[in-house]
Amino acid sequence: MSMLSSFLLISAGLFCIGIFIVLSKRNAIQILIGIELMINAAILNLVAFGKYDNLANSGQVFALFAIVLAAAAVAVALAIILNVYRQYKTIDPAKVERLKD
Amino acid sequence: METTLSHTDIITIQLAIAAVAAPFVVFLLNFFLVPKRSKVSGMLSGAAIGASLVLALLIFFRVWNQPALHVQQVWFTIGNTQIRLGIWLNNLSVLMLLLVSAIALPVHIYSIAYMKGDERYTRYFTYLSFFCFAMLALVVMDNLLLLYAFWELVGFASYLLIGFWFTREKAVQANKKAFIMNRIGDIALLTGIMLVYTHYHTFDLVTLFGAHPIKTTREVWVTIAGLCFLMGAIAKSAQFPLHTWLPDAMEGPTSVSALIHAATMVAAGIFLLGRVYPIFDSTVLTTIAVIGCFTAFMAATIALTQTDLKRILAYSTISQLGYMMMAMGIGAYSSALFHLATHAFFKCLLFLAAGVIIHEMQHLKHKHHLQIDTQDINNMGGLRKIMPVTFITCCVAALALIGFPLTAGCLSKDGILIQGFAWAEGKSWAYSIIPIGAVLTSLLTAFYIGRLMFKVFFGESRLEGISTDSEPEAHEENPLLYLPMILLALGSLFPLFSLDPLKFENAWIVKGFAGFAGKAESAGELIPLLISALSVGVVFIAYTVYVKQKLQWLKFKGVLFNISYNQWYIDSFYNGVIVKAMVGLSRAVAWFDTYVIDGVVKLVAGIGLVLSRVSAWIDKYLIDGFLNALTYFVKQTGNFIRGFQTGRVQGYLFTMLIIVLALYILKTFI
Repeated sequence: MSMLSSFLLISAGLFCIGIFIVLSKRNAIQILIGIELMINAAILNLVAFGKYDNLANSGQVFALFAIVLAAAAVAVALAIILNVYRQYKTIDPAKVERLKD
Repeated sequence: METTLSHTDIITIQLAIAAVAAPFVVFLLNFFLVPKRSKVSGMLSGAAIGASLVLALLIFFRVWNQPALHVQQVWFTIGNTQIRLGIWLNNLSVLMLLLVSAIALPVHIYSIAYMKGDERYTRYFTYLSFFCFAMLALVVMDNLLLLYAFWELVGFASYLLIGFWFTREKAVQANKKAFIMNRIGDIALLTGIMLVYTHYHTFDLVTLFGAHPIKTTREVWVTIAGLCFLMGAIAKSAQFPLHTWLPDAMEGPTSVSALIHAATMVAAGIFLLGRVYPIFDSTVLTTIAVIGCFTAFMAATIALTQTDLKRILAYSTISQLGYMMMAMGIGAYSSALFHLATHAFFKCLLFLAAGVIIHEMQHLKHKHHLQIDTQDINNMGGLRKIMPVTFITCCVAALALIGFPLTAGCLSKDGILIQGFAWAEGKSWAYSIIPIGAVLTSLLTAFYIGRLMFKVFFGESRLEGISTDSEPEAHEENPLLYLPMILLALGSLFPLFSLDPLKFENAWIVKGFAGFAGKAESAGELIPLLISALSVGVVFIAYTVYVKQKLQWLKFKGVLFNISYNQWYIDSFYNGVIVKAMVGLSRAVAWFDTYVIDGVVKLVAGIGLVLSRVSAWIDKYLIDGFLNALTYFVKQTGNFIRGFQTGRVQGYLFTMLIIVLALYILKTFI
């Protein structure tokens, strides 16, 4: 078993855990954590595949960008959650269903 | 007319036009300008007819026994046919012109008093003037078309006048009856005119029957045309079988009866016969004589038993008109017209007198609060004491009607009888029925008019509680009522017509038409004397029966009485057979209309309805159903899909995940 596949397995595991959290949790912040896990799984993949680009290290550069973007996304997401909480007095996404037909 | 007319002739023609136009102008004035109950209308109409009379006199003296005057000009052109209109003044038309206006004037004067207080006073005189206009125009026209037009107008005017009191049901019935009866004759007359036109291509009376008539060929159609003209005259002159309108027409005002149904309108039929006389061949002439004689006899027998004063006079008129027809038929042209003229005077007088008597009876009725029929002669009696003027004038008229010597009626009637016997001479015995019938009629006439006079004027009043001695003289005080009667009474005596009271040949009217008449044999000197003597006897019998109350067996009420009283059942026959047949036919047609024609229409409508129901059903259940099913399907689909729209973000994500996974799985394994 090579190094790469163990990275990819861990990444896949992280992604699955992330998806499970996103789909099952009743708390928006926990869902946000799940999303972070999925992003991190993706970043782990970038880093793992970055090993094959020794000259420009573009995988690691992308990873850095992605981390920054994830941080920004978390900030925006938290702001949205805060606003949702103000609006609905809850952050359970199952109860925020005004988009329902 | 191409020949140039002299100056005096032109003036004569203008006078004739003026005489005809005067009543028409007054008719227009009365119709448009004069208020409803204004006295002016009577004055105007009277003045107009007076003017007509004066003009007619002037024309008469210019034209009588002179060559006939004829002017005409083109009226209109159809294709190559020129229809001309014009005026033809010959002895016949100027005599009629004079007669009509001479009778109409006293009637107008009388009407002014008689119609006083009627709520449609002006309308009455409007109609009267219109009638006079139509009648005067009828006699001077030279053209069959115009003659027919005025013939119709005379009929229409009489319709208006008979139904003048149109609030009475009987009057309305009577004027409808008169109109319909006349219509039958009018159609025949029109047919005759068309027949003449088809063969001669002209309506011009002068060309046809003038001084130089075009040759008539003795063909069948000439006879038919003659019969058609005769039919027209029969209806207008109230001859059998179309006579029944005249007695009913007595529903009009009495003055109208006097003018129309005694003197002028019914004379139009005789006048027509006179105008188209040359067209009649021997067949038609015999028919005319037979119809005239039968009518005279029949009407006289009916008059024997009637109790309505005006009805007796009406039948008397029919009878006398029958005389004239008969005279026409036997070739006594001049005597027919002579009798027409004399009869106009005394019959008009009798009617005017009847009007006064009926007025007086109404007066008595209201005064004594009686429930009586004011026209029933059984309610009268003894009136000579309270109405002396009426009595005397009536006596003159009655004597003239009987044909008593020294009256005008004697001259004309004798003329007819003598010529009748002369005509039958040398023919088979059947022909002598006609003069004998005439003699019988003459005797019957003497009886019924005697009965009328004795019942009305002699004896004592038959009304309870009224003695004619104590009644004041009433309703005669108005000279407008009795002056016309006196004038007419004078006209009923012989001097107006002949200075020789014994020989009819010397009367100027007979001389004026001598050209037409066959020479009468003077063998009949005895006949008039004999008849006069017999008439006196008959009047005496009537006197015995109705004044002395003897000979009561003459008042038997057997079959003959019933026939006479019910007017020979002719009206009943018409009502029972012809009217019923017509009504039955109309019912059948109505039934056909209701059930067959309407049935077809309804069937078509029903089919249309059923078809539309079917198409409505198809529309509703098939077409709408399909569309509804479609929308239902779309709606259900929508609703189904709506279910996915839960609004839950996690649900959406989960769905996405599954779909992506499914796609991967599919891609991997397929």
